[in-house]
Amino acid sequence: MKYWINIYRAHLKIGTAIMFQYRFAVLIWAVWGFVGPLLGLAVWSAASSSHGGNITGPQGATFTDRDFAAYFLVFMIVSHLTMSWDAFEFAFRVRDGNLSPRLLKPIHPIHGDLATNLAFKFVTSTMLLPIWALLFYFLKPSLPPPNWTQLLAIPAILIALVLRYIWQYSLALIAFWTTRVEAINQFYFTLDGFLAGRIAPLALLPGWLGVVATYSPFRSMGYFPVELILGRVPSDQILSGFLFQVFWLVVGVGVFRLMWAGGIKQYSAVGA
Amino acid sequence: MRYLRLLGAFYRTSIQTDMEYRADFFTRIIASLLGLLTTIGSLSVAFTYTTNIKGWSFSHVMVLLAVYYLMDGLIETFIAPNMRNIMAQVREGTLDFVLLKPVVPQFMATLRTINIWRIANILVALGLAGYSISRLSLSVGLSEASSFAITLLAGTAVVYSFWLFLVTLTFWFVRLDNIEQVIWQAFEAGRYPIEIYPYWLRGALTYVIPVAFIITVPAKALTGQLAFSYSFVALGMGCLSILLSSAFWRYGLRFYTGASS
Repeated sequence: MKYWINIYRAHLKIGTAIMFQYRFAVLIWAVWGFVGPLLGLAVWSAASSSHGGNITGPQGATFTDRDFAAYFLVFMIVSHLTMSWDAFEFAFRVRDGNLSPRLLKPIHPIHGDLATNLAFKFVTSTMLLPIWALLFYFLKPSLPPPNWTQLLAIPAILIALVLRYIWQYSLALIAFWTTRVEAINQFYFTLDGFLAGRIAPLALLPGWLGVVATYSPFRSMGYFPVELILGRVPSDQILSGFLFQVFWLVVGVGVFRLMWAGGIKQYSAVGA
Repeated sequence: MRYLRLLGAFYRTSIQTDMEYRADFFTRIIASLLGLLTTIGSLSVAFTYTTNIKGWSFSHVMVLLAVYYLMDGLIETFIAPNMRNIMAQVREGTLDFVLLKPVVPQFMATLRTINIWRIANILVALGLAGYSISRLSLSVGLSEASSFAITLLAGTAVVYSFWLFLVTLTFWFVRLDNIEQVIWQAFEAGRYPIEIYPYWLRGALTYVIPVAFIITVPAKALTGQLAFSYSFVALGMGCLSILLSSAFWRYGLRFYTGASS
């Protein structure tokens, strides 16, 4: 345990230093996270005002303007805390052979990457905090009164972070076979858009799309923690929500291990 | 005439280079179709609850989306690769090689290359435009078509000028590549009708970063919601922006300190 703490501490220190070096560029990249949720909010609050002030989903969940504001703002923050972009990085490394020196290190490269990811979130979140606060002030979201179940969002976000991370990393490993992963990534982001609740609250998805979204791993990656914070999860469904998260996490780790074992044999950079 | 021949030569050579990476075309087509699918999907979910959003029907929004992708394709094919080159050249001092050529520097610098595979976006956009116009059963007559062509041209001119203006700023500030990200972030807002945004943002998207002018206006022209005379106003604005930005570029060039001077 102490071994891993030391390793992560060292990686976090390096990662944070790098992120501070490029703080302006990093901040501008992080602002991309605003675009999607704010556009979603614009579309949905326009739709609800064209529909008499509120929208009711197939299961009876109702959203007003200010509910949409709350949903998309909370989603923006959760999404920032859980996002990962390693699929892009990893394909580059496989293509130009930069993966080789990393393989020589005595620990798996995923740990260094995860630490860099955490450092990015630490640095950017502190910079984004005032902007988030301003958005909450101006968009006037209707948030539920604080209560204890909202604290459950903390473990839910942590699981979502690792879950999203391991799934994206597994996806990135496809680069071992194809070297180019842009199209696959785009496909993943499309699924993520619909099924994690990025384009609309899952409770508003119609028919079969709503059913698929209920059981897909993407729900555990974003929507579930958001709903916990907004107090929209009925108390008898909280436990099953966590069980879903853990289930998909276990599956994700399994897939990752299989793909890594197979992929590393495929890797054929100079000197490998 | 000589400049047209030169332009032909420029484009021929850069297409030849791109031909080496033919698979990129399919990657681009897939990426652009999937991106489109996400936007259309999110809109159609919203439209299951209401038949119009701030006066826009689903099919009208589709036309708008087609113009958005068309503009995106035009920018990425013809404008962006050159402007990115200039920014890099100013930083590295290699703009000297452009300035030394016996042609107008602005011509050489801003029209030198095209990124041919980005044409994928243009093709996807044209397909979507055709489809949604037939769904609307609109009759696109000569006046709609010509006013669309004029406003689209004017929009492209405005984008070109806007970017040239930014690029010229690099003569003083050297590093501005992050600004490009900010512009693209604002450009994303053009996916949807400008009317859905709050009042202050509409103003910013019209006057500060003219996203409305380059996307909403041609879309309205195509669906016949724009007075024909307005297309001449647009054309005037396009010409004016080119003149102003070119003048600014020539002024900025005097401050360029190359590798050798």
